[in-house]
Amino acid sequence: MSRSHLRRIVAPAVAASLSIGVAVVGLTAGSASAGGVPGVTATSITIGATVPLTGIASTGYNEVAKAADAVFKYVNSKGGVNGRHINYIIKDDCYDVQGFGCSNGNQTTVQQTNALLAVPVFATVGSLGTPTQESVRNLLKAHHTPQLFVNSGSSAWNSAAKYPTLFGWQQSYIVESKILGTYINAHLKGKKVCFLGQSDDFGKGGAAGLAQVHVHPAITQYYSVNSLVLGGAGYFTPFISAEKAASCTVVVLYTIPGATAAALGNAAALSYHPQFVISSVGSDPITLKKESSAVSDVGAITFAELPASTDTNAWNAWDRKVLLADPAEFPGFTSTTPIDGNMAYGIGWGVSFVEALRAEGKTVTQAGFVATLLKTAFQTPGLTPLRYTKGNHQGLLGGYVDTVTSDTSTTAVAGKTVYVSTDSSKVKVTVTHRLSTSVPSWLK
Amino acid sequence: MSTFFFAVSDLRRAHPVLTRATLTVLFTSIALVITYFLDSVTNFNLATGAAYAVVILGLSFLTGASGQVSLGNGAFMGIGAYAVAIWSVHHATTPIVATLALATAVGAGVGLLIGLPATRLRGPYLAGMTIAFALAFEPLVSVFGTWTNGDAPIQTPLLSPPGWLASLVGQPTSSLTTTNMWLADISIVVTGIAFFFMANLFRSRTGRAMRLVRENEVAAELAGVSLPRARVVAFMVSAAYAGLGGGLFTLVQGSAQSSTFNLALSITLLSLLVIGGIGTLSGALIGGLVIAYSQNWINWLEAQTGVSSTSGLGGNLKGIIFGLALILVMLLAPLGIAGTIRFVILQQFKKHPISRPSQTADPQ
Amino acid sequence: MDAFLTSRPIGDLLSGIVGGTVIGLVALSLVLIWRATHILNFAQGAMAMFATYIGMTRLQHRLTVNVIGIHFTVHFNYWWCVAISILAGLAIGGITERVLVRPLYGKPEINPIVVMVGYLALLEALAGAIWGTIPITIQTPFSFIDWQLGGKTVLLSPNDVYRVVATLVVAIVIALLFRFTNLGLQLRASAVAPEVSRLLGVRVGRMLTIGWILASGVGAVAAVILTSSSFQQPLQPPVMEAPFAIAFIAAAIGGLESPTGALVAGIAFGVMEQFVTDYLNSNYVLLIALGALILVLMIRPQGLFSKRVVRRV
Repeated sequence: MSRSHLRRIVAPAVAASLSIGVAVVGLTAGSASAGGVPGVTATSITIGATVPLTGIASTGYNEVAKAADAVFKYVNSKGGVNGRHINYIIKDDCYDVQGFGCSNGNQTTVQQTNALLAVPVFATVGSLGTPTQESVRNLLKAHHTPQLFVNSGSSAWNSAAKYPTLFGWQQSYIVESKILGTYINAHLKGKKVCFLGQSDDFGKGGAAGLAQVHVHPAITQYYSVNSLVLGGAGYFTPFISAEKAASCTVVVLYTIPGATAAALGNAAALSYHPQFVISSVGSDPITLKKESSAVSDVGAITFAELPASTDTNAWNAWDRKVLLADPAEFPGFTSTTPIDGNMAYGIGWGVSFVEALRAEGKTVTQAGFVATLLKTAFQTPGLTPLRYTKGNHQGLLGGYVDTVTSDTSTTAVAGKTVYVSTDSSKVKVTVTHRLSTSVPSWLK
Repeated sequence: MSTFFFAVSDLRRAHPVLTRATLTVLFTSIALVITYFLDSVTNFNLATGAAYAVVILGLSFLTGASGQVSLGNGAFMGIGAYAVAIWSVHHATTPIVATLALATAVGAGVGLLIGLPATRLRGPYLAGMTIAFALAFEPLVSVFGTWTNGDAPIQTPLLSPPGWLASLVGQPTSSLTTTNMWLADISIVVTGIAFFFMANLFRSRTGRAMRLVRENEVAAELAGVSLPRARVVAFMVSAAYAGLGGGLFTLVQGSAQSSTFNLALSITLLSLLVIGGIGTLSGALIGGLVIAYSQNWINWLEAQTGVSSTSGLGGNLKGIIFGLALILVMLLAPLGIAGTIRFVILQQFKKHPISRPSQTADPQ
Repeated sequence: MDAFLTSRPIGDLLSGIVGGTVIGLVALSLVLIWRATHILNFAQGAMAMFATYIGMTRLQHRLTVNVIGIHFTVHFNYWWCVAISILAGLAIGGITERVLVRPLYGKPEINPIVVMVGYLALLEALAGAIWGTIPITIQTPFSFIDWQLGGKTVLLSPNDVYRVVATLVVAIVIALLFRFTNLGLQLRASAVAPEVSRLLGVRVGRMLTIGWILASGVGAVAAVILTSSSFQQPLQPPVMEAPFAIAFIAAAIGGLESPTGALVAGIAFGVMEQFVTDYLNSNYVLLIALGALILVLMIRPQGLFSKRVVRRV
């Protein structure tokens, strides 16, 4: 009995699998390569990004890409760029830290980037985060899709030899801390400096920049984000206690906003009031208030690649106009709502993209776009010209030293003085003045 | 159809291993053909879902067979993921099979390490220990930062499809790379093999001993089953599967990052096992598919209801659906999707006995 | 004396105890539920978080009540909101037991775990949908500025004292209730021997509900004192995830049958965390916790403070 059953089942099954295999071999390639440029039609260009819209890293950061999208919508309302409308697809990557607060269905940055590649997109523009974007460099390269204006100051974006179509936008963490260190040398000379940074390229870059300009902290400490999430701000008590015990009168923080709040709160609890010098990543006073309304960084020294909010700068007024035009994403934004650092930042690289797309002209290709980026100086809200070269895929090279003047505003400490440098230890910090602050007429 | 059903049942009793092998080859082949017609995103999500399915298969054995509850299998998955990531950074040319075998072995080794003290524990104490392991994974990766790149991800060299696969389907390797089809294919084959071994293990002497342990520990001891040994073996097998799934996950994703393998992942894996169906193997596959495609379903739901994904409700829709689904499945259909389907089919056969009323379906 | 109080180890000890109170309280609430119903409540933290949202988002609100023609205006200050949070916690505990937990008694161990995990996800998502995911800062009721002694800081503030006192009050109330009241006797009896208790006329079902109500109230207190900290832990949906997971580990070390053990182990974890962070590296906190858990359970599988339960055939 079982023999006959065996033949009745096994034989057809084997035959079926074999014929399926033959069928697979027999099928010819039917991939839909339309021959055009991915994401580009005569009337539109589609780009995308992965950012933390939800989850632990979303506070503040969820505004950046939306602000850039407001720029794209504004430009679209004026007829687009060279007759093309910009479609911007924002995917939530939860910063690759899944939790119950994440609403992206356990999709990793790699998965979301794959989804963008399938659309297809012309490029990813303004994806946020060092670890998340490092994990898709090879993937995007393999698909010949440019990875533009990555939102982070990691020096990893500046490796043209290995990743020729990868571009950062802001200055590197090293450049920023070289500039802040130069300020410390000039204005806080002889004071005892302590350093607290994040235990990754962000904090390490900050420490490296200070060392380049010969600022040598009495104590250098690193915190881990994971421990901060687990332990809350109480985790920072030993760090700040140690800095107070060492009588540091200048404390440099290379911290994300939540960690800045923890550091400032602990300092207040300890009645410890040093001069804080805070990286632009964690100093935006409005974002800080969202993390904790009980702390304030007024009086802190910080850095900005963009105009200070109190500047009479044409871009500040333009930013407001763009945000007011997008009530769907920025509900409740009025003519008096302060513009926070995240919005200004998103608008900054949003403008950079439309400028580059305009310079590229009517015919748009991925290789052509990269070539245009490498040969053009762009007029953006950034304080230094955006001028990419073979050796600089990083982006901006400097900015103002600001002081936080209120819980919603910053002011440049040295008038219109702009500080510039690069990652190289051979390049000193130099001073320049901003050449142009006007908004290009086609954007008005 | 019913003749086919009975024929399969008969055959299963006569030649269980051969039948399973044949069915595995059949279903794997069908799945492989399907990948040919899928777009690249669907294939990529399928590959990711298959990696999760392998992990859930292991969890299914631990919980379904031996009755232990682990909230640390996300961390075992991470162990396998890092084993593959670290290895392939230094030895890019190692065949995929060898790399995955390494991930399985490392998973099993760590499973033994954690499983040994776990044998003495039951219920909440075991759960507490596995939670501690899940929480300790990220710090562990940081402590060994010189190998693991600390909190930053390890990017594996991008794999290209093996040449024989490209020639088999008659496409250039570059085309295979862009469609993600080969990733899905490899994942399906690995899942098929993992499924085959697990099916045999479930029906083997060890599997029966495990189930006896779950049903009645004292009876199992009287029957000569060594409880500590059974528990350690179950732990090791589940960790080995988690390691394999994690390794596959790294190959598919092209990178490994410690924050991926947090406690939330462990809890999600256990929940997917339950939604799929505890004690069933097909439940694990369903669980893998659920995690791979839940985002698509939520997008669809948002489109249907007009809820914006950036609104307060839309941003939390996944949590609300996931939470409600877990509660409702457990309260109304505790057998999960696979278990409920099987239950319904069995009921049908009881109502309409065709030829042999004594027939019982093989629990698989 | 001043030098002693402001020294580094004493500072770590003090801030460790303060940080450990929340873990201890959550562990205590877990033990109360485990003793009453032998269920691992993974939603313990989320229930407390939800109760805190209900109460604490009333801050600054006004409520005008019309009683027989006279208008009473209630201005919700901090203590009103605390009271509402605790009441909400008690109510959530009772409702949860009646609706979600009751069908799970006698089911395999994994069933309640999964239901409570689902409940946890549901509560966090609902909180996010209702109140948003941006953290809400709750000002401390007392100053969070640490005391100074001779120009140096003692790592203790009035608000820290409030946290410790609140924890002690809760612990003492629970202890008195279980030791010296008729209700406490019934609660203990129905947990240890439900069948016998039922024969003696104890309404066991009601006792189980009361056990959940009490535990959920304790959890709400933990979440309230955790988030009433200005900058330390603003209120947000996942705020109780980490304290819950750590409290679970602490409760397993202390022994799930022992309220004292849970409280002590929770506070001990807080102290260990501060010392390890200060003198070693925070990465070792959880590795040491895992090691301690394995070591303790190898020697005493029922935890440090629980009595050994003999398994009967």
